[in-house]
Amino acid sequence: MSAALTLVLIVAVAYLATHLAFDWIARRLLIVSGAEYLVLGILLGPQVSGILTGDTLDSFAPFTTLALGWIGAIVGMQFFLPNLVRIRGIVFRLAFVEAILTLTFVGGLLTVAMAWMLDMSYVQAAFPGLAMGAIATVSAPTGIQVVASRIGRRHPVVHQLEVTSALDAAVAIAAIGILLCIGHPSPIGIARPLTSTEWAVVTLGIGVIGGVLFHLFLGEERDIDRLFISLAGAIILTSGAAAYLSLSPLLPALIVGAVLVNTSDNREEIERTLLTAERPFYFVLLIFAGATWEPSLRSWALPVLLFLAARGVGKIGGARLATRFSDEKEALGLDWGRALLGQGGLAIAIGLDYLQHGRLAVPNLVFTAAVASVLLTDLSSARLVRSVVMPFVTRDMGPEIARTLAEPGRKEADAPATDGDVASPDPSPDPTLEATTGAAPDDATGGNR
Amino acid sequence: MRRVIILILLLLLMRLILPLGIEEGGPQSLLAFGFLILAAYSVGELAKQFGLPKVVGYLVAGLFFGPSVLAIVSEQVSEELAPVGNLAIALIAFLAGAELRWAEVKENGTKILKILGSELSISFVGIVTLLVVLRAFVPFLEDTTLVQALALAALFASIAIVHSPAVTLALLTETGARGPVARTTLGVVLVADVAVILLFSGALAGARAVAPAPGSAYTLSFGLVTWEILGSILVGAALGGVIALYLRFVQRELVMFAIVVAFFGAEIAELAHVETLLTLLTAGFVTENVSRGDAGEQLRRAMERSSAPVFVVFFALAGAKIAVVQVAALWYVVLPIVAVRALGIRYGTTIGARWAGATPKEEKHVWMGLISQAGVAIGLASVVAEAYPQRGPIIRDVMLAVIAINETMGPILFRQALVRSGEVDPRPQSELTRGTPGEGPGEGPGEAPGEAPGEAPDAA
Repeated sequence: MSAALTLVLIVAVAYLATHLAFDWIARRLLIVSGAEYLVLGILLGPQVSGILTGDTLDSFAPFTTLALGWIGAIVGMQFFLPNLVRIRGIVFRLAFVEAILTLTFVGGLLTVAMAWMLDMSYVQAAFPGLAMGAIATVSAPTGIQVVASRIGRRHPVVHQLEVTSALDAAVAIAAIGILLCIGHPSPIGIARPLTSTEWAVVTLGIGVIGGVLFHLFLGEERDIDRLFISLAGAIILTSGAAAYLSLSPLLPALIVGAVLVNTSDNREEIERTLLTAERPFYFVLLIFAGATWEPSLRSWALPVLLFLAARGVGKIGGARLATRFSDEKEALGLDWGRALLGQGGLAIAIGLDYLQHGRLAVPNLVFTAAVASVLLTDLSSARLVRSVVMPFVTRDMGPEIARTLAEPGRKEADAPATDGDVASPDPSPDPTLEATTGAAPDDATGGNR
Repeated sequence: MRRVIILILLLLLMRLILPLGIEEGGPQSLLAFGFLILAAYSVGELAKQFGLPKVVGYLVAGLFFGPSVLAIVSEQVSEELAPVGNLAIALIAFLAGAELRWAEVKENGTKILKILGSELSISFVGIVTLLVVLRAFVPFLEDTTLVQALALAALFASIAIVHSPAVTLALLTETGARGPVARTTLGVVLVADVAVILLFSGALAGARAVAPAPGSAYTLSFGLVTWEILGSILVGAALGGVIALYLRFVQRELVMFAIVVAFFGAEIAELAHVETLLTLLTAGFVTENVSRGDAGEQLRRAMERSSAPVFVVFFALAGAKIAVVQVAALWYVVLPIVAVRALGIRYGTTIGARWAGATPKEEKHVWMGLISQAGVAIGLASVVAEAYPQRGPIIRDVMLAVIAINETMGPILFRQALVRSGEVDPRPQSELTRGTPGEGPGEGPGEAPGEAPGEAPDAA
């Protein structure tokens, strides 16, 4: 049986089995996971069964690139400016400080540690170190969405978590995008090599020109089929251009998504069209990520353990530090960083993005760190969010309503009426940042970015 | 005008990006794939503004951006994108099968067989005769005896009589035509595939017997041919049964499922050594006719949606394969073949339609829908090129030149047939949009009469 056929069969069976149980598991047990696909990929890959050989994986590389671009565009679609300006500045400041602190703390620590442990120069170690910092910055929005769907999306803690998760994603994608520009080799046959800044301009240019071009292309189009063709072409072209130039497909695609959502009248249709194909791409990405995984040839255990510990410290400490010097202690508490520990597809995507650029140091180690973090935190991400949010719900709404809302299978729409809008169903189905950070609550079992 | 600006911007973007590629960068195929989707789609939209089928726009885009003209899409990239073609053929076959209703087959089967038998035999005999008469001028018949020339001419003719389910289905989905001319044409095209595969297998076996290629290890037996046909029907029916079960008990994620079905069906067919087209065609037919309620219809819509970008690129790649220089160099052979084929189809269809007692409109217009050629013919020509390392490439080149003309003229003629028979609104898209306030592009009466919005994706 050919590898491709085996892959199709396994993916189809795994997908069906998981899909049928997925909604139930997510709502009843508060488990939102894509980790099983990652494990499935590892089992199918050259490291375990060898059903998917290295050649097969190479031949499917364009799909992985496309999946990266698709995820980047979905992240970009969250940044709808009219909604962003309605969010209080302090929410952004807290989110941004948490993201930057995590990035610099984990990136810096890992750079120093790897230079010492793996006998590398600081410059060499800075690339994997900062890539791990970018991975550490990412927080999965899906756990937040599952909890938000139960207790109401406008609770201040939930809102802060949603904004932070979106900003974390943007900071992480920008970091990996710029990192790949810095470590970029020169093309052959041009008059002079491009500088890192010029590569960064090229990366941004692909995104901006792509976004503007596709804005023109899409026009007032609302037919979902035509939108699908146009969007597929747009993201394929953008991701393909970035991959062809050995740049990160995530950053240009994020910019395309942001430009489209801010310049098109049909942003809801575009968002819906993007989300239609998100889940298949997400599963493909996870399976290929798992299959691509190789235990690092360098001694990997210590750096990976250090990464996991540093990330925990960075997230919890970063949020704590940011809140301590603000007036939000009462509303948010100091522990909301714990709810950001869950990691999902975007962390894998960034790890895979780094891995695909094999010229940079210790790619397998970086990727192993991403895989380990997702496997460790993915299953518990929704529970972590709930553990942070529930004390506030109990405080604000009383223990009885909190217990009702926490019942397995309960959604916000079923919640008893309250005086405020804390637990009320969101009046707007707007999928952008103001309302939520990704899929609508009912689709919280979606991509698990 | 907006589409022209987009095309210029796309070209500029490609011109800027391509020189910056590095040795260890990713493959160009994904970039070219995205470019082709957008560029071909834009040209298709332009074509529609002029009242031409979008398929023609996709083909022209492929020709223009392909190796023959601007070379934005190189030959290597075309090769790398070959799996897109395979997937498209699988999708086309499934969709084509799903268009056939059992009740309709029972009602119109005899008519279709009579028209098909008549037009195929007249075209086949006409082309064989022409090639044998002109054999001194035909490059691939040089230095052959009369018997060898007959065998090779029969092999060539068995490909030349092929129609194009892809173009037919694309036009029908694009225009939404569902009248007698549309349905009879589709029926003839679909059944012709089965007949042509049988004929081609026989012709290849015959040619191998009387004009074997030096050092060829190719063997073809009656058993193999029988299995290829019957096995396709068996495997396709089994696949269709499984799909019907899925639609009955699960019926979720149809867009993703549609792609898996096409991919899985093509892989299974290859593994079982059966004909991919026939397998998927049978699977589509069984699914449509066995599924309860409108489940089959829902899958068909999901498949049309997911296949739309694939079809755009498939036709653009078909256009990119047209070698302008070869077409020009072989005009003295190619033009008579095209003419004889068209005449054979024209009169064969008329005779067959009269014999079957078809309506005057069918008698007059169905032949115009049978001119197109595309993927299947290209595929069969490639098989011959492999089986005959010396003569085969010449046969393929002549065949590609014939296909180039037919695939450009065919969609235009078919649309004309549908317009003349009153099954499609003749007004161009721009006029339709202006004339029907409140209707957006793609929703006008001429776009897809009788169809719900979303039922007619652009490409398919």
